[in-house]
Amino acid sequence: MNRITKALLLITVGLTLLIPFASTYPDGLEKVIKSLGVEEPVPIWSGLIPDFSLSIIGNSYVATVISGLIGLFSVLAVAWIIGWASLRRNRV
Amino acid sequence: MHIPDGLLDPYLCILLYIISLAFLIWAWKGVKKMFSRSFVPVMAVSSALIFIAQMINFPIAGGTCGHLMGGTLLGMLLGPHATIISMTIVLLIQALLFADGGITTLGANVFNMAVIGGLSFYIVKLFIGSSSSQKRFTAALFIASWLSVVLTALLTAIQIGVSPSFASAGGLMTTVPAMLSVHIIIGVIEAAITAPLILQLSHASPTLLNGLNIMRGVNNEPHH
Repeated sequence: MNRITKALLLITVGLTLLIPFASTYPDGLEKVIKSLGVEEPVPIWSGLIPDFSLSIIGNSYVATVISGLIGLFSVLAVAWIIGWASLRRNRV
Repeated sequence: MHIPDGLLDPYLCILLYIISLAFLIWAWKGVKKMFSRSFVPVMAVSSALIFIAQMINFPIAGGTCGHLMGGTLLGMLLGPHATIISMTIVLLIQALLFADGGITTLGANVFNMAVIGGLSFYIVKLFIGSSSSQKRFTAALFIASWLSVVLTALLTAIQIGVSPSFASAGGLMTTVPAMLSVHIIIGVIEAAITAPLILQLSHASPTLLNGLNIMRGVNNEPHH
């Protein structure tokens, strides 16, 4: 990983600190669904970390940041594995 | 704009899974042809960046919120093919971990956000043409990122509009104007973040912009 990529990763980790301040308003699609009076379907899957909160951690700020970090590193790992498995070794 | 489970017609879900799969195969072949393993870190980190950016919702007028979608941003960082793969990974993890976007609707969400995001690369390309003007580049980024959000909203509106859940609400005739009116504003915010950011990066660290380098025909192997 070169310097620029490392810096980008650091910025990304830093951004997780902002997640707890994210707006809790419904997003555009949710708003439209609500305003049209369409009944919200019963979810068939509530996610491994529902509502971005881990119940074992009392502090909700910390819980939200940690769930963000879990997501961040899951994406990083999955992308890394898929990339590594798909691509050929570096040209010399 | 992640469509939850239970809103879309089941046949539409299947159709969109098939279409998205076709694009994913195309994208995967493209990435394999274009890059070697030195591309892996930048692809993985860019995916993580977009994942986090999509969690930062900002309030907009009318008691609703939006967040960066990042399709055009990814397009400039990774190129069209890797953008589709990268955004699909983001959507998959969002659905699995946070149930942000459904499982049955994953094909639809991949088509609306990952495929459109990746293809927005070609909108930038179309508007730049052979020009090397900075102004033209900025305008192209602005148009492409705005259009990517509006197109995603339009596709989402059409998909929910033709589904039975929305029939009593008026179907397409209500979903399309409702979705577009919110997202033409969210699109402006997307563009206002994407265009200056890419412009800055193109000065500060041009080698990071693999997508832009592909567009300009520069050797696209990431810099070491």
